[in-house]
Amino acid sequence: MSWQAFWLASFVVAFAAFGGISLLIAVRGVAEIRELFTALDEEQRRKRP
Amino acid sequence: MSAAGIVSPFSLLDALITLASLVATLWIGLRVKRYVGSIEDYLVANRGMGLYVGAASLLSTEVGIITYMYQAQFGFVAGFSAFVTGLITLGVCLVVGRTGFVITRLRELEILTVPEYFEKRYGRPVRVLAGLLMAFGGSLNLGIFPIIEARFLAIVTGIPSAYLGWTMAGLLLLALVYTAVGGMVSLIVTNYVQYVFLAAGTLIVTVACLRATGWGAMVGAVRSHLGGHGFDPVQDLGWGFLLWQVLLWVALMTVWQSVAMRTFSTRDPATGKKMFTLTGFLFLGRAIIPMAWGIAALAFFWGRAEPAAPPAPATRTAQIEQVEARLDAGFRRDLDEGRIGRLLPQLEQLERLAGSERGPAATRAAERAQERRGEIGLLAMPWMLAATLPSGLLGLMVAGMLAASISTYAGYFLGWSSIIAQDIVAPLAGGELSGAARLRLTRVTVVLLTVFIMIWSLVYDLPGPAYFYLQVTANLFMAPTLIAVVGGLYWRRASATGAVLAFVLGAVTSLGYLVPALKLGVATAGNLSWALAITGFVAGSLLVPARARPAEARP
Repeated sequence: MSWQAFWLASFVVAFAAFGGISLLIAVRGVAEIRELFTALDEEQRRKRP
Repeated sequence: MSAAGIVSPFSLLDALITLASLVATLWIGLRVKRYVGSIEDYLVANRGMGLYVGAASLLSTEVGIITYMYQAQFGFVAGFSAFVTGLITLGVCLVVGRTGFVITRLRELEILTVPEYFEKRYGRPVRVLAGLLMAFGGSLNLGIFPIIEARFLAIVTGIPSAYLGWTMAGLLLLALVYTAVGGMVSLIVTNYVQYVFLAAGTLIVTVACLRATGWGAMVGAVRSHLGGHGFDPVQDLGWGFLLWQVLLWVALMTVWQSVAMRTFSTRDPATGKKMFTLTGFLFLGRAIIPMAWGIAALAFFWGRAEPAAPPAPATRTAQIEQVEARLDAGFRRDLDEGRIGRLLPQLEQLERLAGSERGPAATRAAERAQERRGEIGLLAMPWMLAATLPSGLLGLMVAGMLAASISTYAGYFLGWSSIIAQDIVAPLAGGELSGAARLRLTRVTVVLLTVFIMIWSLVYDLPGPAYFYLQVTANLFMAPTLIAVVGGLYWRRASATGAVLAFVLGAVTSLGYLVPALKLGVATAGNLSWALAITGFVAGSLLVPARARPAEARP
């Protein structure tokens, strides 16, 4: 494989992976933030006298 | 186009899109303040971060306008060979993610900062020394962000340079407000929103670059205009540089404070490992995508090049002086007005003449030409965006870039201020500070750090490409930190004397690069720093062994 083909393949993988994982993060991140807030709320309730 | 210069089409619509994104970020950042009750909430979000939000937080902290600019600059000057650093990053992330090398052990110790481990393993003086060097190197590193990013914003928005300082001060203030108030909880939530903007901006710019030039033109520009370089990284960058990159990225992915804080914030060590595997591919994009923008800018401006007039017949040295004088005469103005298509042929002419002649004058001319290429490379990408993106898309791109930058400032403010408060001030105060006092101290440190960065950014002149400056200031403490952490975790004989020697020798050698009079190459300074830090660590540990080993931190 020539350097040119190798760098083109690297760019395609980088671009596709960045786009794909970003979409995954955008979709699944919302639920995780809700879980984080719930956990922090529970923690604060537990600490309250 | 190049004779008239480039004028950004940034419009009211673009300004409104940008403003809306900033207001949304600030509003979200401030709303989560009520969740911050303790120093653990503030620094590591009570260790409740999930996989996808963790990946978003890590990436948006490690990607700012400056990242895009220095990566594009590296692509502009080194061509496709620069891509190799992205592949190195991916490899390191995958290995760290799969093996849990260092990160799993540190996560299990439930610490808040990396130097905290040094106190457990080597004693308080090593913690303070590591904290001092980290805060020093980290602040130097962060110190050039505003001025470089201000130039990007000036080009793509058309803001007059007189208002640049105020623009950057406003952005720093925005990051400062919600970081100081909401800490890591704010960061995680705002980082998520910012990541969505950042990713959208990145994809828009990439498509715009490819539409403006095309892959074939990018390959052609590298082949024709980088003097036979640009494809083979071993030949272009050398084994020494590649080795240093591997070592540095291992350190950055394991013990760089803002990255380590994300590891410490994950729900459990297994989530931390998965986060690294996922972010490995994002880090690949973080490097290769903006480097491709830099190469696209090279192709874009060579496509608009104005041929340079040949020098008048004279001796070769006289011709070099002639061409250099002509280039110098209009360089600053042409660069500031985006007439890069006029500068590139003159620069290439100078490089060709200087390369065909021997002697000190030719060597000096070649060095100056290289500096000029670096300066053009830093600004070529934003000029290309200003010339190609239509109004509307420009606003979305700027919103994405600002989101990237503010999240980086916020992440680094929190990272370095936590080191100063937790690892320098608190231990020196006898470690008697309450949680509330530490929280206050961290917030005050965030403010002081912002002031320092604004000042440093205005007074310091870069000694070379931004990419190298940033990596050397990181290397200053990363080499000894990783060596002392790995030695502490995996080698029973590691001692405090070894750790101190590693920090001193590693830092002094890296600083050599920042002193132009020493003429120390970047790869030489980097590798020497690692070699001396390892030597000092091993020699110090063998000659002055540890007296008693603390139970929880030893191998």
